[in-house]
Amino acid sequence: MIEINNLVKRYGDIKAVNGISFTVNDGEVLGFLGPNGAGKSTTMNIITGYLSSTSGSVKVNGHDILEEPEEAKKCIGYLPEQPPLYFDMTVLEYLNFICDLKKVPKKDRKEQLASILSMIKLVDMADRLIGNLSKGYKQRVGIAQALVGNPDILILDEPTVGLDPNQILEIRKLIRKLAADHTVILSSHILSEIQAVCDRVVIINHGKVAAIDTITDLSTKLSGSTKLSLSFKGPVKEVTNAIRAIPGVSNAVSVVSNDDVSMHQIEITAVSDSKNDVRASIFYAMSKGGWPILEFRSLDPSLEEIFLSITSA
Amino acid sequence: MSAVYKRELASYFRSPVGYIALALFSFLSGFVFINQYGDGSVNISSEIMSLCSFFVIIVPVITMGLFSEDKKRGTEVLFYTNPVSMFEVVLGKFFAAMTLIVILFSNVFLHMIITAASGGVVNTGSWGSVIVYFCLAILFTSIGILASALTDTQIISAIISFVIILVIQLLQTISTLASSALSSLLSLSMFALEPEKVNNACNNVAAAITWLSPFTKTQDFRYGVFSVAPLVFCLSMALVFLFLTYRILEKKRWSQN
Repeated sequence: MIEINNLVKRYGDIKAVNGISFTVNDGEVLGFLGPNGAGKSTTMNIITGYLSSTSGSVKVNGHDILEEPEEAKKCIGYLPEQPPLYFDMTVLEYLNFICDLKKVPKKDRKEQLASILSMIKLVDMADRLIGNLSKGYKQRVGIAQALVGNPDILILDEPTVGLDPNQILEIRKLIRKLAADHTVILSSHILSEIQAVCDRVVIINHGKVAAIDTITDLSTKLSGSTKLSLSFKGPVKEVTNAIRAIPGVSNAVSVVSNDDVSMHQIEITAVSDSKNDVRASIFYAMSKGGWPILEFRSLDPSLEEIFLSITSA
Repeated sequence: MSAVYKRELASYFRSPVGYIALALFSFLSGFVFINQYGDGSVNISSEIMSLCSFFVIIVPVITMGLFSEDKKRGTEVLFYTNPVSMFEVVLGKFFAAMTLIVILFSNVFLHMIITAASGGVVNTGSWGSVIVYFCLAILFTSIGILASALTDTQIISAIISFVIILVIQLLQTISTLASSALSSLLSLSMFALEPEKVNNACNNVAAAITWLSPFTKTQDFRYGVFSVAPLVFCLSMALVFLFLTYRILEKKRWSQN
């Protein structure tokens, strides 16, 4: 469990982090979102003890990071934005070095490294020089490094940045696997990743917590209504008017119009109500007018939209 | 501490640095030794004294990457976020560099064996010179480590330690220059000072600058005359530089600029 209380980090006159407080519960996967320069990395660096805070406190499993740094650091595995790798060592040499640093007892070492290597699928690469590995493998070595010493908490700063789509999927799968028995804090600006992996998100902006909630709660809080997208052939004005007349629809706006082939797309905002599905009424209205529907889908607010609406507000 | 020590020592021999230093030192010491051997009068002390003047090259080569590479590669995060104290890290790197210097110095031990075997003189003075060599090595290595903690570029770190070590080696010359410059300044008629006072002042300045030189402090060792003060001087200065290194590294954590 990590308790972060009123964290402030000042750089000259600029407050990179300005009064951030939140708690990460045991076993939770917490997503850390924010535009570049919002203070994500700074906050993570303070939690891991890399930087000190100007004021405020961080407690890791009850140990204050500044007062009992050794105890607190033992609970944390950290993968910074740039994985801290020595290119002149082999994977195994490097992980042994990390074991030395984390003071893993000699007798547990072999077993622990073997299980980490097989979980991260690095067994075949164990004797390769890190400098010769591909970026995806380097990232895995970075994650392996964080796992040495069996910390309860993993802090991963943009673990998939710069990887190809296949590698991103694999790392994401790996994170989900790790989430089973670790508390994970994950920062990213790939929003789909957070959506796929995290239980809760903290959105920070200008060094402050802008929102903290589960993704589903965030989306309903933000919209409170359903959005639909409709593509059809037919006259725009009449269709929009017909749809506006349907009870439950609060607005219909044309988004794409192509008069030559009379193909249009409109976006409909409706009050969501489980009893009265406006989609059926829209279908009947369209069929009554003789306007063929080309595409009809609901637009769930994605994390992206939530993110944009919160951070630009 | 042992984790960092083992890694750094091994990394000297994973990169060309260790081999270059070894080749350079073997060549230099071999050259000096063979020259003396050819003349038929080997003097280990004077061999070691000439080798002392190469600290200015050897030490920057050995220490330039110790912290600067970690800063550049981002591996320094490991020292800040793992349960090790930064002073252990500094000591680990220091002892790794010192171990390499001992390995280099094994050349000279070889020369001592050859000298003794072929009937030459290896006396207390020779061992005194060995002690001097390691005192200076400890002092200069700590300066090199401080230089590498100041920057994230190896070359700049090498230049910083090169300049500092050079100045220390030239302290004698500098003291003569400074005192003569001062004497010509004070002798100007506008000050109207007695020549004796001018002389006194200049001598004091020269003595003060020379006092700082670890070379003059240890110069009697080669004749087998030992004293504790120079050892204390070198070791305590080295400790000061290592402590400064530690503070500079910790500053990064606390800096608010």
